Amino acid sequence: MSTVSSARPAVALYWPVQARRNIGVRSLFVVVLAFLIAYGFLFPGLFSASGFAKFTQSWFPLALVAMAQAILMLTGGISLAIGATVSLGAVIAATTMAGPLGVTGGAAAVALTGLGIGAATGFIVVRLRLPAIVVTLAGSFIIGGAALLILPRPGGAIPEWLSDLLAGDTPTAFVLLIVIVLLWKLYLATPLGLSLYAAGENPVGAYRSGVPVDAARVAAYAISGLLSTGAGLFVAAQTGSGDPVIGAAFTLNSIAAAVLGGIGFLGGQGTMRGALAGSLLLSLMISVMFFLGFTPVAQYVAQGLIIIGAVAIPQFRKVQQ
Amino acid sequence: MAPLLAARGVSKSFFGNPVLRDVSIALQPGRVHALLGENGAGKSTLINLLSGALRPDGGTIEVDGRAVARMTPAHARQAGIAVVQQELSLTASLSIAENIGLGAYPKRFGLVDYSALAARAKAACELVGLHEPLSTPVGRLPLGRRQMVEIAKALYRKPRVLILDEPTSSLSATETKILTDLLERLRSEGIAILYISHRLNEVMTLCQHVTVLKDGICTADRTLEGTDAAGLVRLMVGRDPGDLFPQWRPSASPANAVSVRNFSAGLMRDVDLDIRTGEVLGIGGLVGQGQEDLLLGLYGAIPARTASATINGTPGLPGGVPRANALGLAYVPADRKREGLHLIHTITTNMMLPAFARLPALKLRSRRAERETARGLAAQLGIKGDLARQAQALSGGNQQKVALAKWMPHDPVVLLLNDPTRGVDVETKREIYLMLRAFAAAGKAVVLLSSDTPELVHLCERVAVVRDGRIAAMLERAALSEEAIVSAAMGAENRKVAA
Amino acid sequence: MAVLSSRPFLTVAIVAAVWIAASFASRGFGAYGHLRYLVELGAVIGLVAAGQTFVVIAGGIDLSVAAIVTVSAISLPLLSWQADPTGLAPVLVVLALTTIIGLVNGLGVALLRVHPMIMTLAMATFLQGLLIIIAGGSAVTAENPLVHWLGNARPAGIPAGVLLWVAVSVIVLTVMHATPFGARIFAMGANPLAAALSGVPVTSTTLAVYGISGFTSGLAGVLVLGMNGQGYVGIGDPYLLASIAAVVLGGTSILGGLGTYAGTIPGAILLVTITALITVVNASPGWRSILFGSLILGLLLLSGREQARR
Repeated sequence: MSTVSSARPAVALYWPVQARRNIGVRSLFVVVLAFLIAYGFLFPGLFSASGFAKFTQSWFPLALVAMAQAILMLTGGISLAIGATVSLGAVIAATTMAGPLGVTGGAAAVALTGLGIGAATGFIVVRLRLPAIVVTLAGSFIIGGAALLILPRPGGAIPEWLSDLLAGDTPTAFVLLIVIVLLWKLYLATPLGLSLYAAGENPVGAYRSGVPVDAARVAAYAISGLLSTGAGLFVAAQTGSGDPVIGAAFTLNSIAAAVLGGIGFLGGQGTMRGALAGSLLLSLMISVMFFLGFTPVAQYVAQGLIIIGAVAIPQFRKVQQ
Repeated sequence: MAPLLAARGVSKSFFGNPVLRDVSIALQPGRVHALLGENGAGKSTLINLLSGALRPDGGTIEVDGRAVARMTPAHARQAGIAVVQQELSLTASLSIAENIGLGAYPKRFGLVDYSALAARAKAACELVGLHEPLSTPVGRLPLGRRQMVEIAKALYRKPRVLILDEPTSSLSATETKILTDLLERLRSEGIAILYISHRLNEVMTLCQHVTVLKDGICTADRTLEGTDAAGLVRLMVGRDPGDLFPQWRPSASPANAVSVRNFSAGLMRDVDLDIRTGEVLGIGGLVGQGQEDLLLGLYGAIPARTASATINGTPGLPGGVPRANALGLAYVPADRKREGLHLIHTITTNMMLPAFARLPALKLRSRRAERETARGLAAQLGIKGDLARQAQALSGGNQQKVALAKWMPHDPVVLLLNDPTRGVDVETKREIYLMLRAFAAAGKAVVLLSSDTPELVHLCERVAVVRDGRIAAMLERAALSEEAIVSAAMGAENRKVAA
Repeated sequence: MAVLSSRPFLTVAIVAAVWIAASFASRGFGAYGHLRYLVELGAVIGLVAAGQTFVVIAGGIDLSVAAIVTVSAISLPLLSWQADPTGLAPVLVVLALTTIIGLVNGLGVALLRVHPMIMTLAMATFLQGLLIIIAGGSAVTAENPLVHWLGNARPAGIPAGVLLWVAVSVIVLTVMHATPFGARIFAMGANPLAAALSGVPVTSTTLAVYGISGFTSGLAGVLVLGMNGQGYVGIGDPYLLASIAAVVLGGTSILGGLGTYAGTIPGAILLVTITALITVVNASPGWRSILFGSLILGLLLLSGREQARR
């Protein structure tokens, strides 16, 4: 064994593995690119610094919740509490950051709440073996109730400089997203992170191979909670204040983005880059519809149709073959 | 010398069915130990006990001569025990290397050390002759190659004890040769190997010691020296192989129950086939050549095309299972747990399901009539005990009987059987054989797809050997032998008997 | 003995215990009028959960029930025909509409193979948009005699809504446990592949199951409209979690193949009881929401553990 591991032949592995993961999402990337180009035509301001900043800001929270949902779906779980968790993150940020805790303390409170909620949910689902869909549905009431307790009606405040930094004319959101993606890559390069796939796709086999299946799944829930409250913090910074129900739409959109990005319901199917592309696609569709003059309501209708279409068409082709 | 790994008097039951009773086995270093037994004899359970995946109800597991109180997979790994399971433990979306290292990745700064992983995985792959790029996702490999990845995964952990559960069932001849050479080398390095296989010639050449299980009891624990293949079979079956099969008289009539021309479904391409009433038609060949698609296509469970078809006098293919049932076709799947039964439902409900499927949707049910029917079927097939139990409480053999029994009230004209005796104890096997022949004698047609070649030789009027999506040979009764079937399956032609 | 350990009985026992405890703690709670009111509220959940029980037993889930309830409660007032004095025709039209919505869900699940969660969530989104287009933000008042009767009449002292629920329950229990159709649904939920190979017509059964869910949700919308007098966007929202919770609390496995509507019925009453108790406590909306979620979670821990399947 020592002879093998001390000799380090130039076997490149990490990058080829990464390249392989692109294969499944290539066509999705093409579609996203087409939408980007269409969007660029409709809204040439995209290529200015502030236009790009605004665009990435509208995408950022959706990207975070898509990641939050995707990481759960990869382990074979799901959360219907993402929206409520986003709201909770927003109200905590809006009530603490301008107060005694300050921005650092407030951010820490948001992060710890997210991790705590996620870990608790994960513990109930994984260790107490209750169905994730029901637990998170009930959890959405508890978490949403907590948000209402903290801030019964829209209010609170985010320090202006923070709002300017995150949601002003600088592409801070985009930089943050890159950092988060890099952190995710780092996590996926740890043994625990990589075991997500095995724990989701073949839990029995993974357990027999010595993978800490339960730990990997609980960790996934914790990370998912962190991403969700983080999205809440950002939304609060965008609006400058907190709103206890602002996250409601994110539950469906997170699932939609993940599914558009090729994440399967059975666990272990799909990639995070796909989920991110899915969230970008959804965000672009919403923006494009906005510029085409769709009312927000018509967007709902179109969104419902697009999601079904996007999921059904590949399936339909498979059946036809 | 203390054995590296041993079981002393272990017992295990599932749902009240004893699977192992007071079984002992000792794995010595530098020895390849064969574990033999019929399907369902308890081999897989014994492996699971040895590797900590299950805990015995009674008896102890010993490592290096010391009893381990609560053996877990983690303990087993630390003790250097590696298992190559029959059900693969691989993750399709991960690469070959990531699968091989799963659960034991080399680390650097808390991260997976991909270059060390690559080096060690490559070394393991070279041992088993895997030359695909290490970054290939396992999901893109054919079954045989996945099996080699599974073996490489076990070797990666540098085991002292290596347990292999039917490692060669999906391997090609070349791959099998690589594996046997490898095991020979590992043995000479002092590793203890437990080898499970149905291929007796492999066992005879590779192994030094044998333990035989029959219906959960250890019937032999001895050196292989001075034993021949027939002796091994006697130990496994508990009687001479010939007794297993009933005597029967050919009952085929010239009339066709099913006749298809240029039939294609799944892997099967442009097949012509006639199934006669009153015959048992065998379907043989290597695993995965399209045999199953032939049955499923005829049954309407997968899309099928044909130039012309007549089923039970009606032209055309059924195109759907309900229609196939209406035409008198019935299908018994190979995988009872996944395809044949509703494990969480009662035995009665399972038996009545085809009736529920064809009765008018909103006609009121009569529970009493259902119980009567189920009781009648259970008596006819010798299924004992409370029929209100869940089907998962039954042993493999009885589950298979239920899967068969549910079609009986509907008087099928053509019975399509997919490996009906897989994982079934010897007594049930014999009962199923008797049933098949009785069925044929009553003027029905039986199609018997089987991976068990002797079964085909001893039960069938004719055997269609499938290779590469086509019927490579149609062997008539006079030409039936294990050699003829195997050589036709492998492509070593004896064309004189081809239909 | 089997009855005592059965899940429906357990749920009934919990309801009875809660009722007795609550009527000691709060004087008005145990009054006949209050309990009758609770059952009347439970009828709406019970109707939505009837379809949900079918869908869950068949191995799916319907997340569009809340939107369908709203569709029913909003589109009914818009259909007022002077020619029909009974008000029956518009009700039938609306029920046909919601059944068709359900059938579309079924088509997506059975033919396009879209995961039920995605199909029904997308349907909910679609309907939500459509509703705002049709109704805008304002509430619409129903002037339909049948609907009014259903929501307010008390023949023989029993609310008409409860009578409707009883009738639906009898039909649902009969279809579920005493017809081949019911047996097919259980078979499909426990093992779809084995069911298909046994000749169960999977596509049409799936369609029917989602159609039933659309129908009962529509019926619940009619009832809630009658009780409320007005329909508005969001009127159905509480019934999504409530329907799923009633099904699960009643002992039906969320994995499909096992369960009974006989458990869902006390499950629905348990839910309204919990809601009523929380109202009695007179807490803020936040605390109410937390209590509601925690109680459901607690009850799940008590009784909702899934048995392991091999």
